[in-house]
Amino acid sequence: MLSVKNLHASVFDTPILKGLNLEVNAGEVHAIMGPNGSGKSTLANVVAGRPGYEITEGTVEYQGKDIREMDASERAGEGVFLAFQYPVEIPGVSNMAMLKAAINSLRKYRGEGEMPAAEFLQLIKEKAALVEMKQELLKRSVNEGFSGGEKKRNEILQMAMLEPTLALLDETDSGLDIDALKIVSKGVNALRSPERAMVLVTHYQRLLDYIVPDYVHVLSDGKIVKSGDKSLALELEEKGYSWIEQELQQAS
Amino acid sequence: MSIAADQTQSWLDQHPGAPLAGAGASWLDSARANALALFERIGLPGVRDEQWRYTNLRALKSKLYQPAANSQSDWSLPESDHPRFVLVDGVYNAGLSNLEGVAKGVQFMPLDDAVADSRFDLETRFGSTLPAQQHGFSALNTAYCQGGYVLMLGAGATSKSPLEVLFLNSATDSTADASAISHTRNFIIADANSQCTVIERHQGTDGSVYLHNTITEIIAGDNAHIDHYKIQQDSCDAFHIGGVFIEQARSAQVKTHNLALGGLVARNDVRASLSGEGAHIEMNGLVFGRGRQHVDNHTEVVHAVPHCTSDEYYRSVLDDQSRSVFRGRIIVAQDAQQTNAEQQNNNLLLSAGAEADTKPQLEIYADDVQCSHGATVGQLDPKSLFYLNSRGIDTESARALLTFAFANEVIERIAIESVRDEMTQLIAGALLDGMEELL
Ligand SMILES: Nc1ncnc2c1ncn2[C@@H]1O[C@H](COP(=O)(O)OP(=O)(O)OP(=O)(O)O)[C@@H](O)[C@H]1O
Ligand SMILES: [Mg+2]
Repeated sequence: MLSVKNLHASVFDTPILKGLNLEVNAGEVHAIMGPNGSGKSTLANVVAGRPGYEITEGTVEYQGKDIREMDASERAGEGVFLAFQYPVEIPGVSNMAMLKAAINSLRKYRGEGEMPAAEFLQLIKEKAALVEMKQELLKRSVNEGFSGGEKKRNEILQMAMLEPTLALLDETDSGLDIDALKIVSKGVNALRSPERAMVLVTHYQRLLDYIVPDYVHVLSDGKIVKSGDKSLALELEEKGYSWIEQELQQAS
Repeated sequence: MSIAADQTQSWLDQHPGAPLAGAGASWLDSARANALALFERIGLPGVRDEQWRYTNLRALKSKLYQPAANSQSDWSLPESDHPRFVLVDGVYNAGLSNLEGVAKGVQFMPLDDAVADSRFDLETRFGSTLPAQQHGFSALNTAYCQGGYVLMLGAGATSKSPLEVLFLNSATDSTADASAISHTRNFIIADANSQCTVIERHQGTDGSVYLHNTITEIIAGDNAHIDHYKIQQDSCDAFHIGGVFIEQARSAQVKTHNLALGGLVARNDVRASLSGEGAHIEMNGLVFGRGRQHVDNHTEVVHAVPHCTSDEYYRSVLDDQSRSVFRGRIIVAQDAQQTNAEQQNNNLLLSAGAEADTKPQLEIYADDVQCSHGATVGQLDPKSLFYLNSRGIDTESARALLTFAFANEVIERIAIESVRDEMTQLIAGALLDGMEELL
């Protein structure tokens, strides 16, 4: 579904990704871990099409299509979703208005008509219940004055509403208490299916108890330096990243 | 100098035969004569005037004018259940108006009638709210005002229903040698404890070239509550010169909403003089500029006595080559202790060709005051744009949503739901087809 080959990318002219390879198939969940500043968010943003994040070398294919020239809204139309590490506050645009605009834009992109109002209301009610989000928050401006946990839950609500094919979740678990973590995980697991794939960026193996990944990768200095199954996360938790760096040094 | 003098003369020559409101009242005749003399001395403002530095009147001055002909008769006005006062090209039109249903103690009448009736004592009120330093347009307005509305509220009178005033400007003939000019002078005189909402609408057909010079004087008595809306949707080729001058007595609460959507060049002077303790003025403004529109808002709040508050909130959204000018002057007199004055002016530039000039001007002579002000000129936030894009919302729609959100901060301050909805539709609709349905 997602095929990243030898990806080099710069953020506002600073090279961050330095030859990254990643293959994600439909139905799989991949976890990406790695030290601060190693380029995890950069990878997620590059795939989502953030302006200023420039691919200088390598390819990114999604469902067999080269998406490098598509803008972010087109990639979303193709089914890519990014849950932000730092969700943006948008004063004056209500959660409802944004979701309605998003759903109708996606439908338009796919050549479908607008969603009837009643259906939209039913859907949002259902999904808000899934992530235990209060109705009152739906009417508020996007993320404005939301607590850290509410913002992350809002990302999952949006994901649940938009039903992406490829979801990139950038530290959606950071800052969540254990109850919120369970709620978020429930939202994510509800979306797991053989047609969909997920990439979870996380620092904590705790998340992986709730959302069990098929693969775990370690990103360091712009490259994936080690991949394994979920036991790799446990090992990392125990030994820290320095263990991998030492291993790499020994190998070279 | 001679050029300016010639121009001044030519401006005076453009008015013969103009119908004058209240002709025959000697006090008004002499006020007009004084105004003419003043105009002959000062003429029209130019870019050398500090108060007009950023507003070039060349286009306005290059036209020839003649009194508006009252030429259009096929008006189709939307239904309204409010009392409605209609002026066509500056002159009261009884046929289109409906002054029935005003509340007890409220009188709503044409300027002519009010001038003719000495009980209304317009003689002492006429011009009483104008600043000491007038500009040439104000002088012309006094000299040539043809009509206007006068709203009088007796002590304790409350007008539950908003009172609507339509300033309609006839479609002009593009082959005519001269453009239409009209001058209107209006009054809201609210005695103690009275309450009203007035909605002024300024309208014209796009493509029409005319100059409308209008002044509304608001005299708010003790504890009077007045909400004044000015929805300016003049033709995008027209010139609008407006003044809203307010005098507030003890505890008078006044709100002005200056919604500037139309006009090629629109200038508004909004001035409140707080001369009774506990008075409060709220000044809201929204500029929505497109094409080559130029909107200049000059506001002034004079805190003359202690314990008054002012809250000013102006925003502009500027696209294409449009331009806005904001000057916000706040004067706090030496003994106006315990003043609380706030001022915000935020400008959003949607295109590289748009420009905003903003100038807060605080003159504080008292020491125990709270004054805050802020001015910004910026563009849409790229982070927010990306966020919306990443949800599938295309760039055009995302920009429209964010722009609306910016303007909505002012729209939300509109107390009347129907007007708020109307502005929402207008702005949202202009930004993006079908956006109203999202909101
Ligand atoms: N706008 C920017 N301009 C310049 N450098 C940037 C910009 N954004 C990110 N970087 C740099 O890119 C590097 C990678 O950042 P990135 O956010 O991808 O790291 P990360 O792996 O997600 O880290 P964390 O675990 O802290 O979230 C960092 O050194 C960061 O400072
Ligand atoms: Mg990150």
